Amino acid sequence: MSSIVLAGPRAAALRTDRYLDALLAAADRRAVDVPAPTDLDPAIRFAARRLVADLARVHPSFRFEERLAVQLGGLPTGGVAGGSPEAARPLRPIGGPVPAAGMPARAALARPILIGGAVTSAALSIAGAAFVAWRHSRPSRSVG
Amino acid sequence: MARAVFGRVSATEEVGRSRVGRLDRDRTLVEAARRDPSAFEPLYRRYLAQVYSYAYYELGDHHDAEDATERTFLLALTNLARFEERARPTDGDGASTFRVWLFRIARNVVANQRRGRRRHPTTPLDAAGMVRDPLDVEGGAVGRAEGAAAWRAVGRLPADRRRALVLRFVDEMSTSEIAGVLGRSEGAVRVLIHRALRSVARDLGADDRAGRAR
Repeated sequence: MSSIVLAGPRAAALRTDRYLDALLAAADRRAVDVPAPTDLDPAIRFAARRLVADLARVHPSFRFEERLAVQLGGLPTGGVAGGSPEAARPLRPIGGPVPAAGMPARAALARPILIGGAVTSAALSIAGAAFVAWRHSRPSRSVG
Repeated sequence: MARAVFGRVSATEEVGRSRVGRLDRDRTLVEAARRDPSAFEPLYRRYLAQVYSYAYYELGDHHDAEDATERTFLLALTNLARFEERARPTDGDGASTFRVWLFRIARNVVANQRRGRRRHPTTPLDAAGMVRDPLDVEGGAVGRAEGAAAWRAVGRLPADRRRALVLRFVDEMSTSEIAGVLGRSEGAVRVLIHRALRSVARDLGADDRAGRAR
């Protein structure tokens, strides 16, 4: 690809995209930053690092999670098994932990999360500590 | 025009459909859930927090986010038979067209919920309000000035930029997945995120200076 093609706003956006790929992958490894290309706008790097650190994933309450699991399990579906006795079988009330997409099970806790509106970061709150203890006490299960 | 993951599958691409199995990481789980709805659980557990996060950042209220999450998963399960994989080699091995499909449902549910509430969620003020409560020290949450500033900066963005950033940073979607969810080209999403980050940088710079002045 020539430098002419890479010039302009789309090229800058592409550089940003590549940096974000690397930065988010590094965050899963608990790394703070990754080397940035020299031609990356420093403002972009600054904002991206802040957002990786500060935009937390929000987890609903466990009560809600389990209630919806039961509700989904009792739903007649339009799928292959819809209307069959299988359709009325509830999902297990509490299943093993499923890593968030794209994350290994342990790394799923690498970034701060919110539970029911309270900020937690594994070390900062009782809720966070309880969540971590619960997750670590559950057997890992490989899916997907 | 939405690209890759939700583009129409041409005859040529059908030839390569055998490759989809290893490309779409949710394929096995989706097929299992189609045979047995109770097997939907792993998909539900995997994507619950992501869908809920998206709804929460959009609606700014935990109860509303729960409603939207519930509707999204109910619709997903009842319509699972209609889901079609559209993964392509260019999407990479980690791609999930199921996740894109699920988030398209979530996006519609959230939009309907907003209309029902008669709110104006795309205005900066509402978006700023969205992130204020969870970080309100008086409310008992952990107050982190820097974190709150970042959230406010994102909340002040136009809706499309805010959504793109939330999907990228909170839900950790790839650009191609975001393109599928938002119905835009990958190039447009890259530019959207690039511009959004520049806005956030400017905003945070202003916030930081104001903080130092105080």
